[in-house]
Amino acid sequence: MNEALAVAVVVLWILVIALVVAVFALARQIGVLYERVAPMGALMMDEGPKVGDLAPVFNLTTLAGPRVQVGAPGSHSTLVFFVSPTCPVCKKLLPVLRSSAKVESAWLRVVLASDGDEAKQRAFYEKAELSDFPYVLSAELGMAFKVGKLPFAVLIDEQGRVRAKGLINSREQLESLFTAKDLGVESIQEYLQKA
Amino acid sequence: MTPDPVITHMVAAALAMLLLVGAWQKLRDQVAFRTALEAYDILPASRLSGAFAWLLPAAEVVAGIALVIDSTRALGVVLGAVLLTVVTAAVAVNLLRGRTDLGCGCGGIEDEQSLSWALVARNGVLLALLAVVSIEPVARDLLWLDYLTVAAGACALYGLYAMINQLLANQPRLMRLRSLA
Repeated sequence: MNEALAVAVVVLWILVIALVVAVFALARQIGVLYERVAPMGALMMDEGPKVGDLAPVFNLTTLAGPRVQVGAPGSHSTLVFFVSPTCPVCKKLLPVLRSSAKVESAWLRVVLASDGDEAKQRAFYEKAELSDFPYVLSAELGMAFKVGKLPFAVLIDEQGRVRAKGLINSREQLESLFTAKDLGVESIQEYLQKA
Repeated sequence: MTPDPVITHMVAAALAMLLLVGAWQKLRDQVAFRTALEAYDILPASRLSGAFAWLLPAAEVVAGIALVIDSTRALGVVLGAVLLTVVTAAVAVNLLRGRTDLGCGCGGIEDEQSLSWALVARNGVLLALLAVVSIEPVARDLLWLDYLTVAAGACALYGLYAMINQLLANQPRLMRLRSLA
């Protein structure tokens, strides 16, 4: 009797642990699914300058010192990437942004934008080693593009027109902006609706 | 009511696993933990948060180890309760400020959880478990089967904890999907 009980307990423990592992794996997979299914391509907000419109022009001082122009026609397209020291996804995307900026450097320059307490911004700028990018602090810039959620990116082409914009949560969404510019569509949603 | 020693050992071991894994993750990615701490916006200076980013995981390691050794269990319980209370208070303060968009910085799983009252409730359960451990158990001889129960039970409890964290991390994403549909 005792032996039978002991065997039963051992077997049950094995089953319990196996089930816990299985349920955890399922929860994890659901999490991944939510992330994948979520907005397809960079989600567009229907606010701020429309795709195709001329972007407002800003002349801003970067944290490093030199001035940078955003929105003016030039030799390169500009990706304005809105970040904040308190946004975890922004930190996750910085390496992605760095590698994209390198790969696309022939036609693209990246400007990081934020606003708020300058000391905190500087600490973030130094800790995340962002000196490769012009980093501007301007509440007006964020307001002009009606940035609601971060990380948000706006792609402005050589003529100073907004080509694509949206909330960016992953490399795919960042690249969807470049694709949207290449294909001449406003957003991936619009492209999928057309297809 | 005095619990069986198996219950005490099992819960203590599960809490120790949770503390040690949490500490390891915070120490492994110091930068992420520091930024999470600063985002909580409670500590006055960034130098303080640098020190705290070391102190907190170090205390977690001490509490975790103390919990599994019989002679130091009381210390582990007290230190663990203090740690839990401090971090839960930090979460609650930010929730009362209306900020739910911060990462939790708790460690535990890869996915970042954001702050919610569910997190406070979870920590409440952990505090209750610490209270269970703090009670002196009945004295009795342990068999090999008891050790199996302790080891397997601790793993199962930790697995449940990881699962709950994952579901808490999933929750806001589900809400976002719902709001899109």
